[in-house]
Amino acid sequence: MPESPPPAERGEAFGPWLARQLRRAGMSQADLATQVGKTRAAVSAWINGRAEPREETKARIAEILGTNLAAIVTRTVDVPTGRPVRWHHRPAHADGGREYGNAAAFAFDADLSVLAREATQNSLDERYDDRAPVSVHYTLHELDGPHLDAFLTALRWNELLPHYEAASQGNQKVSRSLRSALEDLSQEHRLRILRIDDYNAAGLTGPEYSDGRFAAVVRRQLDSHKVTGGRAGGSYGLGKATLWATSRFGLVLINSTLSEPHEGRTACRVIGRMDLPWHEVDGEAYAGPAWLGEPDTDPEHEDVSRSWWADDETVRSLQLSRSSGESGTSFLIVGAHDASGDTESLQEMHDKLVRSLADGFWAAMLGGRSAGPLLEARVTTLRNGEVHIPEHQVDPHFHHPALSRALQAYLDGDTVAELTSANQVVRADVPVIITPLKGQGRQRDKGREHLAALLLTPADDNDVQINRVVCMRGNRMTITEQRPRDLPLGTPPFQAVLLAGYATGRDGEDIALAEAFLRASEPPEHDRWDRTEELTTAYQRGALARLKEFRSSIDKTVRLLLGKREITRSEGPSVLRELLKLDTSTGPAGRRAQSFPTVRNIEARIDDRGAWHVTVHLRLPDAADPWVLAPVAKFDVRSGGRPSVDWELLVGSETCRAENGMVIVEPGVRTAVFSGVTDPTTHPVRGGYARLAVDVPKGRGGAV
Amino acid sequence: MPRAVPFDVPPVLGLLPDAVVAKHLSRGMQSGQENPPQAALRKASTPLPDDEIRWRTAPIRELLDVAMTRFDDNPTAADGWLAPRLHATLRMTRAEAGDGRLWNHLAMLVAPDYVAWRHKRAEIAQSSRFSGPHYTQCFSRLWWVAELFRDGPDYRPVEVACSVQDILNTTLRLDVIDHRPTAQALLAVFKSLISSGVPRPGDHVNAVSSAVNAAGSTLVYDVLAPDNPPLVEDLQDWIADVAEAPAVHWDRLPEGPNDGRVPRTAIDVLVSFFEKLLVEAPVRRRGRVSTPEDVGDSPQQSAVPAPREGVSLAKDLPSWMT
Amino acid sequence: MKPVFPYPTLLGDVGCEVVSVSIDGKPLPYTNVSATERVVALHQSGRAGWEEATLNVRATLPESELSDGPWQDVICLATLTEKATNARTTARLRPASDGSRTGSIILSRALHLRRATLSLLVIATVNSVAGRLVGSAEQDWYVDLQEATPVRQREIDIVEIDFRDGPHDGLRPYKESSWIIETSGDMPIVYLNTTAVEGLMEVLGSRGGNPTEKVLREMAASQVAQDAWTAMFHTAISDLDTDEDGTPVMPTGWRESVLRQMLPDVLPGRQLTDALYEINERRTKGFGWSELQTGIQYAAGRRAQISKKLATAVRTIDRTERNTD
Repeated sequence: MPESPPPAERGEAFGPWLARQLRRAGMSQADLATQVGKTRAAVSAWINGRAEPREETKARIAEILGTNLAAIVTRTVDVPTGRPVRWHHRPAHADGGREYGNAAAFAFDADLSVLAREATQNSLDERYDDRAPVSVHYTLHELDGPHLDAFLTALRWNELLPHYEAASQGNQKVSRSLRSALEDLSQEHRLRILRIDDYNAAGLTGPEYSDGRFAAVVRRQLDSHKVTGGRAGGSYGLGKATLWATSRFGLVLINSTLSEPHEGRTACRVIGRMDLPWHEVDGEAYAGPAWLGEPDTDPEHEDVSRSWWADDETVRSLQLSRSSGESGTSFLIVGAHDASGDTESLQEMHDKLVRSLADGFWAAMLGGRSAGPLLEARVTTLRNGEVHIPEHQVDPHFHHPALSRALQAYLDGDTVAELTSANQVVRADVPVIITPLKGQGRQRDKGREHLAALLLTPADDNDVQINRVVCMRGNRMTITEQRPRDLPLGTPPFQAVLLAGYATGRDGEDIALAEAFLRASEPPEHDRWDRTEELTTAYQRGALARLKEFRSSIDKTVRLLLGKREITRSEGPSVLRELLKLDTSTGPAGRRAQSFPTVRNIEARIDDRGAWHVTVHLRLPDAADPWVLAPVAKFDVRSGGRPSVDWELLVGSETCRAENGMVIVEPGVRTAVFSGVTDPTTHPVRGGYARLAVDVPKGRGGAV
Repeated sequence: MPRAVPFDVPPVLGLLPDAVVAKHLSRGMQSGQENPPQAALRKASTPLPDDEIRWRTAPIRELLDVAMTRFDDNPTAADGWLAPRLHATLRMTRAEAGDGRLWNHLAMLVAPDYVAWRHKRAEIAQSSRFSGPHYTQCFSRLWWVAELFRDGPDYRPVEVACSVQDILNTTLRLDVIDHRPTAQALLAVFKSLISSGVPRPGDHVNAVSSAVNAAGSTLVYDVLAPDNPPLVEDLQDWIADVAEAPAVHWDRLPEGPNDGRVPRTAIDVLVSFFEKLLVEAPVRRRGRVSTPEDVGDSPQQSAVPAPREGVSLAKDLPSWMT
Repeated sequence: MKPVFPYPTLLGDVGCEVVSVSIDGKPLPYTNVSATERVVALHQSGRAGWEEATLNVRATLPESELSDGPWQDVICLATLTEKATNARTTARLRPASDGSRTGSIILSRALHLRRATLSLLVIATVNSVAGRLVGSAEQDWYVDLQEATPVRQREIDIVEIDFRDGPHDGLRPYKESSWIIETSGDMPIVYLNTTAVEGLMEVLGSRGGNPTEKVLREMAASQVAQDAWTAMFHTAISDLDTDEDGTPVMPTGWRESVLRQMLPDVLPGRQLTDALYEINERRTKGFGWSELQTGIQYAAGRRAQISKKLATAVRTIDRTERNTD
């Protein structure tokens, strides 16, 4: 190599850059040789990197390509060629095979919460600088009127429409839903788009078609491209399909700022991808997928739309502007909806996104003295470019106070060995033995011990789920929730977090081993630690038993932390204890409370004289004889005898009559109302200072 | 002249369960004719530590003997004299005084003769005077009236409280007086009532108590008239001092624990309010009987609520005994 | 029967929580605090001589209702009371940054004996009357001084003891009895004599056994229970407080539980206060007292499941005999 590869900021190597410019300009090496007055061999040597032209030759080349010398020296931009950005639809398979929609997209419910989980997990897995959190920003945006028109124009909607119309013919599920999406758009003339930006993430690096992040996302739907040191769950794996599944039009635009240059450049790598089922337009058959981009000049991919380095104006018109130069990717879901049907309005969708982010990533969003947050997340909603619901940074402490408190205390080193307050977090270690891999270590080797950290704290009053252990590994990714068994009766509600592997935040050999071991025990859904094929083929015998022990020692530790609650009281024979229960809240005694008249409700006021005027609503049991009741009004006191006050007046209603201080209710009447006025001269204290209670005992013979 | 005690008094106080009282309390003891079955009772009681001077019975016994001599013609009047002196002699915390078994022991083993002397009406003293609620039991009512109505070390309000039996019988039952400023304000109102020479002051005491108690269900006196927290350490010191303290003076009031005076301003706030209640409260026909003729048999009083006869033994002590 | 107030009171819930407790400055293990039972157990075997406990309390008030309503100068007051010692301590709670009200209240051991009640009151100026009670926490907390486990419902103690030679002298006179019920204390106690009938304790305490043993166990337990319920009922009605018109007031604690469970059977179809009044009348005036005993016997028998157990016993014996035939 005549010169070392240029540093990133100096742009691409001269050879590949020149080759592409020639392709873009539709110029052969021979043409250039003729125009600059060099041999074809010389041009070939430049392109193959064996030599570089002298300055004056470069200036001449610049002139021919229609640019200046500076551009040819820095080589960070392509020479504008006016090659049109356009949609390229993949022709149908030559063999006539048809696919009805993206298979991966249909593997997922296009539920907003699933989208938030999958997309954010991808961002987290692609975190670029380990010292800072990756930042994700969800922007929900509703467009109509001129804003919508401008966007659709930028999108070249008219080019797409014939394809949509063709694909929506038919009776498959995908056709039907496309049809309703198109109808809604034309009737309401309104469109919702959802942009998911991440910053401090790797961005879609790598070549257009072969291995790399870009191709994994844009070209191959089922490819799971994993690079980040084995900590990831399934970066850009199946999860990315939820992006397309969330679009009613199967359409997603992408703008990425790369963490390592491609073609010498990093900013504004833009491409769009649409997924339709097989369809025919004007007699031509199409396989379904289409890409928005520049027609490729590479002979191997002639005419395929490839990503292009877009200018600011284009990016803006496609609603793809990024707020900073930090690396990361923006996905714009066109026609975003919540297929679960749970949310309709912008507010509901906004709230669901916030909630889903909090539920899925509360742990990653926490930072403390020993480790910073891995993630920060925001949600904003716009209408026609104006803020509709202001930016909302998701606060884990608000949504999951007790769980957040538990992890926060761990990160801050504030855990205690024994709880003395409802705000404290108690910590204990839970061992798991990692079985050796097959072919490693001696037979009968028990394996390495890894200490997972169990954190437990009293639950918050508003917690819906309680008495569970949230188990995490990796970048604080929740794998499973364990509900400990055999908790002591009357256990106070708690929340617990178990941190294993990398999630402990520690370093050490056992950490990586545990991470790999647990990961091997997860099914593709990553939702439990149990028998998997990978576990049984990769690890020595006994792995499953170790997992079982792990689960039961989690339970045991929880029971231990919940306390040395002495349940051994002076019990006595249980057969006797059964018969001596002093329970008032339940049982037949409670039910029979309705075998006599009861006061359901009292309305009361005090008049100028200080007399109480009450309207008393009664509930009565069915009876054969009339109820003769002697209502009693009393001043309620904290202790001592309650002073009774006399009635000045008792008045019946259509449901009962009042006679001689008695209220008489005819048989069969189940609810009755009477009114009364107390005699203020019998009040022991001014009525306004007292509380009044009314009771309705049966009339006592001779008391009148 | 101290009398000779006709039975063997245990030297140290103890704890005697209610069940044992029920079993051994005989009509003979209630009438003062019989002496307690000492052996059985002692066996059934748990003695308090005899190394603590305060649990010794001799000083208490001496006080009771003096009381019986001094007030032989009017046992009711002994309350005002005995209450502060008993409190200053039998020094203890509320936690200790809350254990009814202590009072059972005192009444059954140490001074059954005093119970009969003080509370015998017609033939016998009610069993609740031997073992009963704090406002009824012969000795605990005195100790508690002193505890709840003293103003820190000052026992003078206690003498006022004991000057009308209705205060002991009615007011002492009410939770509102657990708030010290309320208790002191009530006493201030009572004191001016008594000194005004109004006839049948007991009726007025009951009326004011009832009004204050009823108003206490909507007004939180603790907020209207804030008290200071009790100085428990000073109380503990005073209790410990009993080892060195001389026996209480018979003619001069003893000094109580210096655990904090009731704030003057708090009392004043409540006094003016209670006086207002007294004025505002309409004059009512009172259910409480207050003459000897009425006691316990007034079924014909239809307009008047029936007296609380025989329900709790606390309540049928007529006020004519004052 | 809920009383009505002569002024507007709060509708929304008032919450009260003991966040932490320290004893003489040292934190109490949180396992001694039960938020579900709303009980704090202060008794610790390791620390006998403690003097005071500080309870850190957090209250949540219906703040929006308060700010929109006719209440001014709202005060949130924690009170600590105990009937047995006439103790009453109060502490004001102050607004905290998270919108709740917090503060601490001190329980002095010299002022409390068994179980203190922690209540929360909301006080405000209403219609220019200051110091009005406008709300309170639905359920009080209990602070137990004698319990090591925070349990709200205190249970009847069942003590297995040797009446003849055991440590309890008071039981010696009953050495021939198989059981004794003591209801005069803080909680009822059932004493089972380990020496009166040989083998009875073993039968009562075991779980399995042959059919005859099972029948014996069930019947013996039933008899003890009937005695216990009868004794508890009598104690519960023996010392009733009354209103001014002579209506008895429902007692508190275990006495209330017993009366609520038994009164509907003792005097069926009566309102509880009616039934209590009737019983008190009969007890104090003497008429109808012996008739009442039938009702008490019936109610205690129901609680002890006498008929049910007898029916099972008869059937079991019938079956056993047929098998041997």
